[in-house]
Amino acid sequence: MSGALKDSVGSYKQKDWPKHIIILAFILIELFPFYMMMQVSFKDNASFIQNPWVPSPPYSVTEVYLAADGAELTKDRTARWTEVFTASVKPPLGDPTFQSGELRFDLSVYKIHNWGFGLALIGPYIANTVFVAVTGTVVTLFLAILGAYFFARYKMPFSGVLWSAFMVLMLLPGVANIVPLFTLLKEMNLLNTLWALIIVGIAGGQVFNLFVLRNFIEDLPKDLFEAAEMDGASHFKQIVNVVIPMSGPIIGTLAILSFLGKWNDFLLPLIVLRDKELFTLGVGLIYLDGEYVKQWGQIMAAYFIASIPLIIIFLFCMRLFVRGLSAGAIKG
Amino acid sequence: MALPLSRQKALREWKLYFFIIPSLLLVATFSYFPAASAIYHSFFDWQGGDNKQLIGFDNFRRAMGDQVLWDSFKTVSILIVFNLFKMIPSILMAVLIHRLKSDNAQYLYRVLLVVPMIVPGLVTLFIWKFFFDPNLGVLNNVLDFTGIKSLLVSLDGFFGWGVFFDNVPIGWLSQPELILPALFIWGFPWIGTVGVLIYLAGLQSIGQEVYEAAELDGVGPFQKFLYIELPLILTQVRLSLVLLIIGTLQGYGLQLLLLGDAGGPGGRGMVPGLWMYNRAFIAGEFGYACAVGMILFVFILGLTYINNKYVRVEK
Repeated sequence: MSGALKDSVGSYKQKDWPKHIIILAFILIELFPFYMMMQVSFKDNASFIQNPWVPSPPYSVTEVYLAADGAELTKDRTARWTEVFTASVKPPLGDPTFQSGELRFDLSVYKIHNWGFGLALIGPYIANTVFVAVTGTVVTLFLAILGAYFFARYKMPFSGVLWSAFMVLMLLPGVANIVPLFTLLKEMNLLNTLWALIIVGIAGGQVFNLFVLRNFIEDLPKDLFEAAEMDGASHFKQIVNVVIPMSGPIIGTLAILSFLGKWNDFLLPLIVLRDKELFTLGVGLIYLDGEYVKQWGQIMAAYFIASIPLIIIFLFCMRLFVRGLSAGAIKG
Repeated sequence: MALPLSRQKALREWKLYFFIIPSLLLVATFSYFPAASAIYHSFFDWQGGDNKQLIGFDNFRRAMGDQVLWDSFKTVSILIVFNLFKMIPSILMAVLIHRLKSDNAQYLYRVLLVVPMIVPGLVTLFIWKFFFDPNLGVLNNVLDFTGIKSLLVSLDGFFGWGVFFDNVPIGWLSQPELILPALFIWGFPWIGTVGVLIYLAGLQSIGQEVYEAAELDGVGPFQKFLYIELPLILTQVRLSLVLLIIGTLQGYGLQLLLLGDAGGPGGRGMVPGLWMYNRAFIAGEFGYACAVGMILFVFILGLTYINNKYVRVEK
């Protein structure tokens, strides 16, 4: 690409670097919480209080103190970066009982077991959430494709009425519903089950997905459907062989959005779930937050583990994420 | 468009209705039925069990005199103003990224912007809660480190707020006066991934020749924003404005998690949605909660109506 033909829109007089600096500054502050999450997850509370900002150096310090009765008292702690650079141990200010300190290379300052602990804390919740989110997403999209095909393929009698019945729900705020929904689930004996979350999620996802998919299927070339019909394909076969292969990217984007929504949901699980074994990630994290003595390292490790499934999806579908979100955002 | 059908053909295709029935049943059961039930039960004294008593408009009469409810509407209006202000960084960010010359850099920044989305929202929320912690929290550390704390303390001495003191850690979520400021700071620097991507998509429709013409006329960067970029993303800005206002009005998850079900110390963080949640699941007054939900619903419906009428959003 030659310089003249670039489809950039910036001014030719202005330099780019001030913009880069501003953007980077914003993004760095934006990502700062996640940096903290990462580095705190390798610390215990003591080394976090001593050094909250940067990762610990791979050194530990053994200090010897003189106790009141003349005996020697040894204390282990993580080294400070200044101590590593100057290769000497500084006594705590004005502590007369301090005798000597020894600096040594020690990888155990990185609390790997925080991660084991975090996984044990949150692993079952993740399993539950994956079950809910995957089942919910698959069924939501399957039903929405069927429904969208119904609206997009032919103008059937009553389809206009049915369509507005769905679209009105876009204006209906969900907030007033939650109390009756709770009693409804209670009557259906679905309280304290994962199925409640799945079914309500499927119902809630119909409107938006129907809206996007109908517009998309209507834009598919009609000849394809007619050719398939000539070959004697039933409507279901047409969906499987024409609609689904043609709408891969949009289905992918919708699946990601739906999965993200279910992964982040916590209000409904908070109301519906009682047993600890059934907790999804949302309630699990809230439960974790409610504990009194907090080991921040373990909690941060648990937080990070909670993001891993999303990170995996992100790595595989980055393009879909970035493009799909921009495109889907305009439509929605 | 979908093909129109003759009556006979439609009769032959009756099986197609089976495709829509599952969605319809689900929506009827889990969206329409609860909505109808909420309207119905708002006229009852109902504890959530089988016993309920028709009390007419008593729930609504009680709501009219409910100080907590009206205070919560005041709080939520302030939060809406905050959130409007918080839209600015996203717009700024989108314009800056859009004005970059290098396409690769643009893509890179977009990817970096999506990164916060792969961390569950709840985790972000709890990390922020941890930032607000008075003793260990990062926010107080930053304020101490940069000297903003002493500035705040001297300002406090000057204006007599009685909020910030030397040697006392700032209790962002435990001092009633600081609840709203904490909710304002929350999420700094307020860059919404979806927002930036929407604005970028809008900006992409601006052609190079517009910029060149502006350049020839000697238009400065700020005027370019005012006369070229802002008008073109106005549709998107309006759309996110509407979504934001409605979302803030009915949202209560943030307040529930940061401040607890009573809206924090002094109930300063109480919003209408949280009050409804509180009445239903803490106090067990399901009927009254339904009435509060209905009042909130009327507000949102009114806003939606105004927005459909006056704020045209072309799809």
